[in-house]
Amino acid sequence: MEGPRQGRLLRALPYVGTAFILAVLPLVLSQYLQSMMTKFFIFAIFAMSLDLIFGYVGLISMGHAAFFGIAGYTCGILIVKYGIESFWIAAPCGILMAGLLAAVFGVFAFRVSGIYFLLVTFALGELLYSAATKWYSMTGGSYGLGGIPPPNLGLTWLEWDATSFYYFAFIVLAVCFFLLYRFIHSPFGHALQGIREHEARMECLGYDVWFYKYVAFVISALFAGVAGVLFGHFNGLIAPMHLGIATSALGMLMVIIGSAGTLFGPVIGAGVIIFVEHYAGILTPARWPLIIGAVFIISVLYFRAGIGVYLSKIWKRL
Amino acid sequence: MDRIILGVLNGISFGSILFLLGSGLSLILGVMGILNLTHGALYMIAAYVGWTLAIQCKLNFWLAVLGGGLAASLLGFLIERGFLRRLYKQMNEQVLVTFGFVHLLTNLTLWTWGTTLRAPYTSPFLSTSIPIMGWSYPISRVSIILIGLVLAAVLWWLQEKTRIGAMIRAGMDNKQMTMGLGVNVDKVSGAVFLFGSFMAGFAGVIGSQILGPHLEMGIDILLMSLIVVVVGGMGSVQGALLGGMLIGLIDALGKIFFPEMAMFTMYLAMMIILLVRPHGLLGRKE
Repeated sequence: MEGPRQGRLLRALPYVGTAFILAVLPLVLSQYLQSMMTKFFIFAIFAMSLDLIFGYVGLISMGHAAFFGIAGYTCGILIVKYGIESFWIAAPCGILMAGLLAAVFGVFAFRVSGIYFLLVTFALGELLYSAATKWYSMTGGSYGLGGIPPPNLGLTWLEWDATSFYYFAFIVLAVCFFLLYRFIHSPFGHALQGIREHEARMECLGYDVWFYKYVAFVISALFAGVAGVLFGHFNGLIAPMHLGIATSALGMLMVIIGSAGTLFGPVIGAGVIIFVEHYAGILTPARWPLIIGAVFIISVLYFRAGIGVYLSKIWKRL
Repeated sequence: MDRIILGVLNGISFGSILFLLGSGLSLILGVMGILNLTHGALYMIAAYVGWTLAIQCKLNFWLAVLGGGLAASLLGFLIERGFLRRLYKQMNEQVLVTFGFVHLLTNLTLWTWGTTLRAPYTSPFLSTSIPIMGWSYPISRVSIILIGLVLAAVLWWLQEKTRIGAMIRAGMDNKQMTMGLGVNVDKVSGAVFLFGSFMAGFAGVIGSQILGPHLEMGIDILLMSLIVVVVGGMGSVQGALLGGMLIGLIDALGKIFFPEMAMFTMYLAMMIILLVRPHGLLGRKE
């Protein structure tokens, strides 16, 4: 009979297997594809962070990119404008900035709910977008903040190329995934799911719902910040569009396609979107908005549950 | 001082356009619970269609206005029947689907009309200017203000004094009850959507007198209309008018006095209203 030990090993198998495959992939992929995978890893983190509040708490946010962008901008500004060299200083500052923004914003944002919450998060993203566009001296305006070098980790033997970015992003993704996984499966995480299911009942049970939502919001912003910082280094450039609804909506789409409320789902969703973006870029670059628009529409109408749910059903049957 | 007066006039004329868009958006939101992000794209497509009709086909300007409005309402109808119907009250899905349509429609417009910027156009009758305080002010802008005011009056009358208006207001306040009273809320909301889309198209062509059709129009004007709806309040014509005027004035005066801060101020205003008085300055309480 299967004991609990075997059960746990079995459950870990898909994760370990995927991790292994991803770890050896660079051996067979071209530099270009490795870069694409790196982008995929970064957005996987972003999508997971969004899933935390959308899938697990049930809050609809149309401004998540605000945290992504502000972290990227902060880190980039510190490095480019203020000459901070070390990644270990600039990156945490960026991430903390995202968390701080969420902490301040969250105090006010949770006074409203439903569509008003959606609108107010949207307003936050656009507010930062217009600030970034106008504050030319600090942010480079609509041209964006460029010239962000690869992360200075203080490792002199490290040469930055596509493969090193790949592994760097991969490691960060794995760490984030692990942390989020533990968080979701902790009592706190379970409480969040309870809030998603039935907020009033949780209140009756004595949970301070506001506090839970607030903490989840800040944590999701921190992870979005991680993605933002990585993106800044990888892309070399952070632009206002990375703060606004375009990026936020893309993140939402990744979560929905991949299945909200699962942790690996958004990762898959991110993969799908990056993949489609890549091939659309090759085949019909002018029609990319049309394709992504169609993808939005079709996936929301027909694939609402997402791919992740479908995959876990298959896995259970095996 | 002159600049301020001109700025105010500019603000009011732009505000009229925002009012036209905002009232459609607001009604659709209030009656159908649909956040229609395609509104801006419809505005843009109508502007281009109007351009084609007025400049390429050399038709009468007012026919172009009508054409633009009809194109917009047709598109709106297709989108609503085909797609948005199925997503009643699912805010997030609506936002994503309508946002998807914005991408789609913008790209289609690009495909059809190309990337050349089109200049603002108007009818020969309206292309002269009148002197105001020693400056010559375009009649087209004055006409926009007048049209806006007339329509505001008409819409207000429709909303408050007619049976259709009562049905719409009732549908906003309590859908079940209204249906219980024998009103076909479905048909009414369909008509509201159609009408709202027509208004967006109408505004698109009328507004082309000031802003020539261009591809970012869809999102730009949509964002501002959202602010108008939030600030002015959902579901009321008065709200859209007030919101439109406020935002139009902030935009115009902001461009004169603090050009860097205009957009920022607007979003800040939107956030403050959402947090302090979510149903807007003149909105209907849900």
